[in-house]
Amino acid sequence: MAALNRQGADPGPETDLNLRLLKAQNRFQRERTARLEAESIAEKGLRDLYEKQRQLELLGVIATQANQSHSVEEILRFTLEAICQHTGWGFGHVFRINPNNPDMLVSALIWFAEPGTNVSDFAEEACARNFPKGVGLPGRVLETGKALWIADVTKDPDFPRWKAAERSRLHAGFAFPVLVSNDIVAVMEFFFRGAVEPNESMLSIMSQIGTQVGRVVERQQLEDKLVHDATHDPLTKMPNRLFFMGRLERAVAVHCLRPDSRFAVLFIDLDRFKLVNDSLGHTAGDTLLREISARLMAVLDEEAVKSAAVVTLARLGGDEFTVLLEEMQHDLVATDVADRVQDELGRVIEIDGQEVYTSASIGIASSETAHENAADLIRAADLAMYRAKTEGRARVEIFDASLHQAAMQRLALETDLRGALRRGDFILHYQPIVNLHSNEIVGFEALIRWRRNGGEFVSPLEFIGLAEETGLIVFIGAWVMREALATLAKWQGEGPENANLTMSINVSFKQFHQPDFLESVVMAITASGVHPSTVRLEITESVTIRDADKTVEILKSLRALGVRVSMDDFGTGYSSLSYLHKLPFDTLKIDRSFVMALQQESGGREIIRTILALAQSLRMEVVAEGAETVAHVDELREMGCGYAQGYFFSRPLDEPDALRLLNGQRFSSRDLARLEASRA
Amino acid sequence: MKGVIFNVFEDCVSREFGPDTWEELLDEANLLGAYTSLGNYSDDEFDALLRAVAARQGKTQADALRWFGESAMPILKERFPQLFANYASSRNFVLAVNTIIHPEVRKLYSGANCPNFRFKETESGSLFMGYESSRKMCDLAHGFIVGASKLWCEEVNITHHTCMNHDDDKCLMEIQWQR
Repeated sequence: MAALNRQGADPGPETDLNLRLLKAQNRFQRERTARLEAESIAEKGLRDLYEKQRQLELLGVIATQANQSHSVEEILRFTLEAICQHTGWGFGHVFRINPNNPDMLVSALIWFAEPGTNVSDFAEEACARNFPKGVGLPGRVLETGKALWIADVTKDPDFPRWKAAERSRLHAGFAFPVLVSNDIVAVMEFFFRGAVEPNESMLSIMSQIGTQVGRVVERQQLEDKLVHDATHDPLTKMPNRLFFMGRLERAVAVHCLRPDSRFAVLFIDLDRFKLVNDSLGHTAGDTLLREISARLMAVLDEEAVKSAAVVTLARLGGDEFTVLLEEMQHDLVATDVADRVQDELGRVIEIDGQEVYTSASIGIASSETAHENAADLIRAADLAMYRAKTEGRARVEIFDASLHQAAMQRLALETDLRGALRRGDFILHYQPIVNLHSNEIVGFEALIRWRRNGGEFVSPLEFIGLAEETGLIVFIGAWVMREALATLAKWQGEGPENANLTMSINVSFKQFHQPDFLESVVMAITASGVHPSTVRLEITESVTIRDADKTVEILKSLRALGVRVSMDDFGTGYSSLSYLHKLPFDTLKIDRSFVMALQQESGGREIIRTILALAQSLRMEVVAEGAETVAHVDELREMGCGYAQGYFFSRPLDEPDALRLLNGQRFSSRDLARLEASRA
Repeated sequence: MKGVIFNVFEDCVSREFGPDTWEELLDEANLLGAYTSLGNYSDDEFDALLRAVAARQGKTQADALRWFGESAMPILKERFPQLFANYASSRNFVLAVNTIIHPEVRKLYSGANCPNFRFKETESGSLFMGYESSRKMCDLAHGFIVGASKLWCEEVNITHHTCMNHDDDKCLMEIQWQR
């Protein structure tokens, strides 16, 4: 203005005022523009800050929930609602991976819609449709593993649900993966009424939310695996005892409330499984178990369909399986199923080129069996199975009260047996072994007797099996050896004519396979002071079956010590003649059943003749058991049998009587005649 | 009330009546009138200005409020174009008021006290809109809806079935767009 004044004439007061007004207006406009711009900058800054805060808040809320949640469904529902509420997006939905096809997404049937929005068309379509990898919004997320935003799904070329979206007036959509490590386990998708351009910062938060939700899924997966492992058998993948007992307890509880709901428990035990394990090895045993499991599962699936019963199969351990049949229409279902199981297990199984035959002993207890809890029923089924086993295997037995009675008696027997050694209830009886040519007593067999609680005698048939099962036989066997050898030492000390007197001692399977068996024999002999050559250990054929190489080794060591070994009950076991010569026995004992058969026309004579020929060629001595009559003795002698024992000579005697008999020494012809007369 | 409302009001008045009118209104209402968009100002100031505009226009305050709402729409669209993008119709725009427009407003203007509307769509295509606020500004909403319809070149009829300004508990408007 000053320059104008200098160059031109005074413009006059009015023009000057207009000019100043113009300038003031310009300045005002400039200030106004600057204010609007400043406001807009401040607004944008505040908006960004607000958005960031809200997003972090959302992430925080979900992360907190993820820390607390133990249910995948719960966290998914929470997350859907939280995201919808925080973002204002009206509809959220979850897809999960199809368990049978990792490249396919199926609806998890979990969705959330803001109240008041009518999106039922789209929700229905979302729940009904599957998406292969690469197809549609969720399929593309599954393919890339990354969050994806579509500004308007109704205009997107790859959004198969566009019609439903249009009907529900949904336009913008985004989806993100729920990740466990790098695996996608679910895809969450959200939709909004209007079209919205992609918001990278929001997508980035959503990806982080996907990771948080994934933590819960991962935790659940680990928990599920722990529970599964704790309730399943790793070998056969079947439910285990824990799982089975849970189901059975439930069945018992249901039966309590609804007595007409019937169920049954089958206890299945494979026959001769141990034989397969011992002879073909544990790997073959495992293969057998897997094959058996597969057969059981197949046959039970069929039976479940046929009988409409609910079936639970479990492996309790070893070769024991259990089946729970629930909602049975009638009681025969249980026996039908048991028969079918036996048919199926009876078919030959090929393992490593070997044909293996197996069968099962099955015990059944039903909901009608008196019981208080699941354990009672399992015990009842087990007892019935045990009966099936003792009655000859490959059988089905149904529990009844007499089984329970027998079990109780057995339990009492076991209790008494455990205390018998301590109480000194065992005594030894001795039966003479006689040289059939000289009629002289060459030795005795020590036989155990149990005076139960100091009262009546219990037959060894009744308690030896139980002692074997409980392992008590090892202690009992050791006592027998000490006691018998002490007696032998005493008798040998009675006079020089007794110096070569022998003592035969039975050794059980368990005792023989104790790691320190050899040591214990040496110690017992040393302690007694007898010469090892006067000790004869009697071992049954069955002892030699398990681990033949080890058996040969132990027998050889015994022989090296000078101890003599006899094969007891020869001809009744499983051993083949082909490997008999490998076993360094020096004596065969002919089982009493063959001697008894001498007078019948059932081939006893031929068998004895064969055994004698065999023994001769293997340079073994032979002792015949069960010689009861003069005819037995005469015939055995005539056939060339060297030794015999039996009631003809003497029943087993207690120590003083046996000593008296020994002091009488030789059985004279007159004695024998007297004996015969007295028996007649 | 947020300063931005005063700013938009000023724009409406200036466009309709020329820039000097706003100064006169401020004088008439005895107000200083320095409003920045992010600031908070008394509702009474807005009421005073509204009364002045109504007097100048020879309208009721309700009609003046409708006029303001209708005239404000094109200005708001210039100022916040992203809030108007992506809607195929004014109906969709109106339906997004709770879920996107007001949340956006709250993002820009922290502490803004936006009303919440309840919507119900009927089979016949009408949209029922419920409103409840101590400000009783249903007429502003009415004006906004008319203004929005004009932006999308649509015709709309709005019926006030109940109204807080006529001693009802809440307002219920029925909005019908002509096809």
